[in-house]
Amino acid sequence: MREPLQAATRINLEKVDVLLVDDSLPSLNLLAQVLLGFGIKNLTRAESAKAAQAMLRERTFDLVVSATNMAGVDGYELVKWQRRGALEANRYLPVILVSGHTPPSQVFKGRDAGANFTIAKPITPKIVLERILWAAKEDRQFVECDSYLGPDRRFKNDGPPAGVKGRRREDPPEALRPPGAVAAQAGLDLEKVKS
Amino acid sequence: MSTVRKFRAPNRLSMLVRANGGVTAKEALAAADAALEPLRAESLAVLDAALAEIDARFGRSAAATRAAGVFEDLYALALRIIDVSGFLPGSCVDQAAVSFCALVDNCAEAGAWRWDAVDVHINALRLLRTADLGPDQRRAVIEGLNKVSQRRIDEA
Repeated sequence: MREPLQAATRINLEKVDVLLVDDSLPSLNLLAQVLLGFGIKNLTRAESAKAAQAMLRERTFDLVVSATNMAGVDGYELVKWQRRGALEANRYLPVILVSGHTPPSQVFKGRDAGANFTIAKPITPKIVLERILWAAKEDRQFVECDSYLGPDRRFKNDGPPAGVKGRRREDPPEALRPPGAVAAQAGLDLEKVKS
Repeated sequence: MSTVRKFRAPNRLSMLVRANGGVTAKEALAAADAALEPLRAESLAVLDAALAEIDARFGRSAAATRAAGVFEDLYALALRIIDVSGFLPGSCVDQAAVSFCALVDNCAEAGAWRWDAVDVHINALRLLRTADLGPDQRRAVIEGLNKVSQRRIDEA
């Protein structure tokens, strides 16, 4: 479980190099003001994913914040490209996507893009700061295979569904899985399980 | 079966945020709120302009020509409202615009406009933007819009 933002938490973003990408100028300006308010001094803006790709090929950053809904190359495609096509030093950067609306047809594209977190617009400073801190404390390993490169998409490991052996070495044996998880995954009635 | 590799990636952000100095989260949030304030009037003007453009191009007044409208254009205008609606907390304007996006996406998938539903969304956006409604009334408007747009509640 990730921690909610605490008022007393200290954070130093002065030396963090951030690439901010959005083709909506009003949205780009709002996000930029929020990030500058947090004390970020090195903020680079890109008004399209194409422009962002050029920057990610040329110099290194520490964090990418990108809109998803963009004309041409969208935010999901940008992250997917970044994980394999950017400068080596930029491939594993934390990426926070910001989305106004995700059509059902894009849900799997979003899941498979390789971003660390997604925030819903309209943005609020609290959520943006919280996700930056989560990205800084990211403890998930990267997973690389033919179809995916990015942080492990499992936020917690309750193991595979009941009755399924599982594909991962670290999948816990069924006996060690949380009872709630096994029951929920199997679609069982919890009350029946208890009795 | 493809080979799967798992590894720990370097995270420079992690090291940088822990450097000495900096500010508390409370101070950072206060500074961000202050930095946003100068954009309030401009953002609300963007919202009102987007709503006016939606009405002019896709509203009842454009009944004779709106069938030639492009789904992507209306979707982009609704997204623009979402972008800047953070300055109207509690108004539910953002949720109405999200429902509008879901509606337009459904129309685009079906390849056919649902003008009654478009009109309802335009009217609701105007109502939520300008009328003095209580929280329950605003919630009721959104619930109605979600039914009209057939938006699933778990959609982002």
